[in-house]
Amino acid sequence: TEGPPSCPKGCDRCSEYNGCVKCKPKLFIFLERNDIRQVGVCLASCPVGYFGMRNPEGNNRCTQCKIDNCEACFNRNFCTKCKEGLYSHSGRCYVSCPPGQRTANETMEC
Amino acid sequence: EHPLLRALIKVTLLKHEATGKPIVVEGLFVGGSAGKAEGRLMQYHPLSLCNTSEDERQDGDFITIVKLEHRVPRCLPLLDKARMALDKGAQAVIFDVSDDANAAAELREANSFSRPVVLVEAQGAEDLMGLVNKNEEANVVIEIKVEPKWLHYDV
Amino acid sequence: AGVRVDGSGDAEAGRASCPGRCRCELDGLLLRVDCSDLELRAVPSDLSVFTSYLDLSMNNMTLISAGALSSLHFLQELRLPGNDLSFIPKGAFAGLYNLKVLMLQNNQLRSVPAEAFNNLHNLQSLRLDANHISGVPAGSFSGLRSLRHLWLDDNALTEVPAEALSELPALQAMTLALNHIRHVPDHAFSALGRLVVLHLNNNRIVSMGTNCFHGLHSLETLDLNYNQLMEFPTAIRSLRHLKELGFHSNKIQSIPDHAFTGNPSLTTVFFYDNPIQSVGRTAFQNLPELRTLSLNGAAELNEFPDLTGTRSLESLTITGARITSLPTSVCEQLPNLQLLDLSYNQIQSLPSFSACESLQKLDLHHNEVEALEENTFTGLTSLRFLDLSWNRLSTVKPNGFSALPALNRLDLSSNQLSSLPLSGLQTLTHLRLAGNGQLMELIAREDLPRVRWMELPYAFQCCAFISCDRKGGSSWEKEEAVEAAGRDAAVLSSQAEPDWEDFLMEFEDGPKPQHAVHCSPTPGPLRPCRHLLG
Repeated sequence: TEGPPSCPKGCDRCSEYNGCVKCKPKLFIFLERNDIRQVGVCLASCPVGYFGMRNPEGNNRCTQCKIDNCEACFNRNFCTKCKEGLYSHSGRCYVSCPPGQRTANETMEC
Repeated sequence: EHPLLRALIKVTLLKHEATGKPIVVEGLFVGGSAGKAEGRLMQYHPLSLCNTSEDERQDGDFITIVKLEHRVPRCLPLLDKARMALDKGAQAVIFDVSDDANAAAELREANSFSRPVVLVEAQGAEDLMGLVNKNEEANVVIEIKVEPKWLHYDV
Repeated sequence: AGVRVDGSGDAEAGRASCPGRCRCELDGLLLRVDCSDLELRAVPSDLSVFTSYLDLSMNNMTLISAGALSSLHFLQELRLPGNDLSFIPKGAFAGLYNLKVLMLQNNQLRSVPAEAFNNLHNLQSLRLDANHISGVPAGSFSGLRSLRHLWLDDNALTEVPAEALSELPALQAMTLALNHIRHVPDHAFSALGRLVVLHLNNNRIVSMGTNCFHGLHSLETLDLNYNQLMEFPTAIRSLRHLKELGFHSNKIQSIPDHAFTGNPSLTTVFFYDNPIQSVGRTAFQNLPELRTLSLNGAAELNEFPDLTGTRSLESLTITGARITSLPTSVCEQLPNLQLLDLSYNQIQSLPSFSACESLQKLDLHHNEVEALEENTFTGLTSLRFLDLSWNRLSTVKPNGFSALPALNRLDLSSNQLSSLPLSGLQTLTHLRLAGNGQLMELIAREDLPRVRWMELPYAFQCCAFISCDRKGGSSWEKEEAVEAAGRDAAVLSSQAEPDWEDFLMEFEDGPKPQHAVHCSPTPGPLRPCRHLLG
């Protein structure tokens, strides 16, 4: 499968079956699952539920947030945006604030 | 070097399950993993089998197929990639090694995988990956190819 | 879900007008506008005032003119990554009273556009990663009193911007990773009382002030991996709420006594890939939440550490040290242990492990153990993997392995055994005995009914596990005795000699649908089934 189709924007190296296999510098590779296929795409910022992990070799990749009810995260364990209607406290998402914490409804924080 | 057991990979598109004739592709078992397996065909990007990969869990029985490419930087040795695929729940792993000449040699040294690990290449691999590209659900059955008794073969 | 509006017309004039070629979506009364990847050179002029989300990623914008976005009072998220912005003038973000998320990563900024930021009082997340910022002068963040999350990773910072950071009292998460920082001064983060996450990995940090983390009362995650630290970071002593600490891949040679005395909440600590030679005996005391401890190659460590108060350990690895014995109370101290790896030490005798009821994996290879007593492994009902290879084992008491109902992998290779009590080993699937030259007894197949992978001292001992009479043929090619697909295949493996790494990794699997016994050394013309010596 030499001579792959012209790569999509942001991609340095791609193939017909795997999509992008090496993104341009500073971008993140996201391994997008689409039914039985899984192809690489290059993004400037990662999709909902993922955060961008950079590394010195430039193999930056979108990595899954591991926090319940979280839409955007800073790292695996710290949420920056909870799902609608949930309160955030120290990077986690709560239906109601933990005991001893005051509720700030305007920013949905404890 | 002793010959390895050959695999028969029978693939049927779910929509043709009742009537359709399966596509039959030959492969090579590695790592003493010869055995029978069945499941839905599921492609994995080579970079999804790395230490930094999160565990994308599939439900139900599935068989992983990975198209290896020599241009993709190796994040893990292929043996560990095969094990990681099995740890993610795959009933078997198929590696298309058409574009990665070293892969076959690297995987043939392996032994004692817990479930079948099969290498495919050339036209057989092309047929399988063509199916993946159609992105249609397919069922895969892997069996040991029965060689006629009198044939001495050497691979 | 939003109502899609394409760029050609506008469903409701004013509210839903979508700039040419952009993709818009109504979200209640507001509008989400995606103009990414359209080779735009400037902000579209006909943006609806009801725009709440605007994505201008991956275009060719070199400038945002002052006031270009001033009508967007409802804008909450503005995305500008992947453009060519090297400068952002004062007033560029004027009017964005409700902006919460601003993404400027992957541009050409050489400094923080301080003036452009100073009216963004509601901004919570600011991404400046992957630019060329070499310094952050005082006052750069003065207007950002609501900022919670700051990305400055992958830039060219040579020092921690302490003064600028002191203007961010609400900050909860920050990354300064992938920069060129060499030193962390005292009080660098003293105003950041609400900071929970701090990433300093992949810098060039050589030294740290002993009070450099002063003021970080809420810190839970600290990442110092991939730096040049020569000394243990004693500054962590002030981090009472620290849960996750990483300082692997540095140049630290010793871990002092009471190293983590100030961090009772620690659950994980990674420090591999450091040339650690010595470890204080009390270094890991009083860590009630610690689950995993891994220490490799501490050549000067000659005593098992005192783990008083660190009762929750589930995985303990201390390899490549000079430990000669274990405390008899090791299991009482560590009742939750599931994995114990003490390989490559100098242990001569073993205590009873019976109180380690949760132990699943016990790795003692490359030590100097000579004998196994009756009670050494009694009560280990969860033990599945036991490796005692490369020891000096000559005696195993008759019931040495009798009470191990879950054991399926046993490695006794390279010892001095002359006999092996098999009682209790019926659950074995993998057995290794190679390298016990005096062990010549035959092993009956019924004693190991579930075995699938074996490495024995002599080929004739494999015959019991492969039907010997068909092996008299002239050549030893692979033979398959499969009559029909799916029937049991008595398959002789002819793979290359199995190596130990695969044995170790095969941990979880159950019996294969087709039960093939891999036994080596494989009997052959030069290694007949009939043992010549009677």
